[in-house]
Amino acid sequence: MRRVVVTGLGVISPLGNDTDTLFSALLAGQSGVRIISGEGPRGPYTSIGAPVQFDPAQYFPPQQRTDQIDRVSQFCIAAAAMAVKDAGITFTDDNRGKAGVSLGTGMGSANTLEETFTQLLLRDPDRVKPLTVLKVMNNASAGHIAIQYGLAGPDLTYSCACSSSSVAIGEAFRQIRHGYADVMIAGGAEAELAFGFFKAWEAMHILAVPDRSNPSASCKPFSKNRNGLVLGEGAAIVVLEEMDAARRRGARVYGELAGYSSSNDYQHITKPSVEGQAQAMTLALADAGLSSADVDYVNAHGTATALNDATETRAIKQVFGDRAYKVPVSSTKSMHGHLLGGAGALEFLISMLAMHRKAVPPTAHLDIPDPECDLDYVPGLGRVDQDIRCVMSNSFAFGGTNAVLIARQPS
Amino acid sequence: MATIFETVQDILVDKYSKPKESITPESTLESLGLDSLDLIELMFEVEDAFNIRVPQEAGTALKAATVQDIVDNIQKMIEQGEATTPVGGSLPS
Repeated sequence: MRRVVVTGLGVISPLGNDTDTLFSALLAGQSGVRIISGEGPRGPYTSIGAPVQFDPAQYFPPQQRTDQIDRVSQFCIAAAAMAVKDAGITFTDDNRGKAGVSLGTGMGSANTLEETFTQLLLRDPDRVKPLTVLKVMNNASAGHIAIQYGLAGPDLTYSCACSSSSVAIGEAFRQIRHGYADVMIAGGAEAELAFGFFKAWEAMHILAVPDRSNPSASCKPFSKNRNGLVLGEGAAIVVLEEMDAARRRGARVYGELAGYSSSNDYQHITKPSVEGQAQAMTLALADAGLSSADVDYVNAHGTATALNDATETRAIKQVFGDRAYKVPVSSTKSMHGHLLGGAGALEFLISMLAMHRKAVPPTAHLDIPDPECDLDYVPGLGRVDQDIRCVMSNSFAFGGTNAVLIARQPS
Repeated sequence: MATIFETVQDILVDKYSKPKESITPESTLESLGLDSLDLIELMFEVEDAFNIRVPQEAGTALKAATVQDIVDNIQKMIEQGEATTPVGGSLPS
C-alpha cells in the first residue's frame, strides 16, 4: 500500500501566522482568546473569541481583487501558499494531473453571508453584490487554490461541522494511498466571528462565560470550572505526498500520516458518545497498523464543554486502558479557541509540530482538577525534549461525525 | 452633465483602474482586459450610476463587444424605463 507523508505546513491562527510563532506561543501557554467588540444592527456588541490578525495585503498581490474573496478563503489561500513554499514543491505538467485540494469548513463564508443579508434586509431589499455566489460557495477556497497552482486532480470540500478539516485531511490521505492522487493540499478553515454567528452559538448556551479576571483564560478544557467553548478563526493547510515520490525529490518530511478513521455516533445531533469516540480512535489505530501503546501524544478534541471533556476522557481510557494515565493528552483549544471546521487541521498541524520539534503543547488554564477528568493533560506549560514517535489528533462533531488522524515519525 | 460614455469611462477608471486615455467608444472589452465577471460587476455599478435596473432576462443587456455597445444598451434601458420596475420588487410594508 502506498504511504503518505507530510512535507509542508501553513497556518493562519489566533496565535500567529507562521508555525514558529504559533508553536512558541503554545509551549508558553499563551492565549489568543480575547474580548471582541463589534457593531451589530442596533449598536455595539461584545463577545469572546480568538481572532486572527490578518492583513490581506501581506498575502495577495496588489492587483488581486481581495474584495471578491471571503475572509475564510483568504485564510486558506494564504495558508496554502505557506504550505506549498514550505514543501518546496512546484507543480508542472508532469505532476499536476495527480495533484489536488481537499478542504474542510463548517460555516464557510460566514462574513459574506452576514454582509449580504444585512444589505438585503436592512438597507436595500432589491439586490446584493454581484459576485456574492462566488464568494459564498463553500468550495471557493479549494477552487482558488487549484487555479493558483494549476492542480488538475481531485478538488474537494467537506463540511461536517467540527470534524470538517480532519475529514478533509483524512480523505486526501486516502486519495494518495489508493492512487488517485500523488500530492494533495489539504486542511481547512473557519471565519465566523460575526454578529449573527455569535448569536447562533450563544443560543446554544455552549459558549464560555468570559473569565472576569482574565478573559484570555476563558476556555478551560478538562478543568472543574470549565463552562464552554470559545470560537476561534483561522486556517491550517498541509501538503501530503506519496512517500516514495517525496523521498525522490528530497523533500523534508515532518512525519507519516499513517491512519485515519471516519465514523458516526448515530446517537444524538449534539451529545457525544463514549462508544462512538472510542470506536473512532480504535479504527484509526487499526488503519495505521498501530496500537494504543504506540501513541506518545494525543491532541484532544477538548472543547471545554462539560459533556465533551468528560466523554472524551472516558473514551480515551476505554481505548488506552492503563496507558491512558501515561500518555500526555492536551487541548490546545484552551489557547487558539475552537476553529470549528478548521479545528481538525490546525490541531493535526500542531500534532505534527509536536512530533517534529519533540515538544508537547499544554492545556492552558487548567487550574482546578475535575475528578471526571483525571488524565495527564499537560497543565500550564509545554514539555520539551520529548521523544514523540506517534501522535493522535481527535475531532468530534455535531451531527455525530468523528474523525481521528494518526501520524508517526517517518521510518 | 456627463454623457453616458463619460460616466462609463469614469467607472472603468475608478473601479477597474483602467487608464482613462485607453478607454474610447471603440475600445473592445477584451482590449481593456474585462472578462465576463467584470461585466457582471460593471452592471451593478451601472445600475447605481444611472439609477436603473438591468433586467434579469437581459443578463445579456451588457453583452457587448465594445464600450460603445455598453453605452447604447444603457441608453436603451433608460429610454425604455425598464429600470422603474426593480427585479426583486420592494419589501412588503
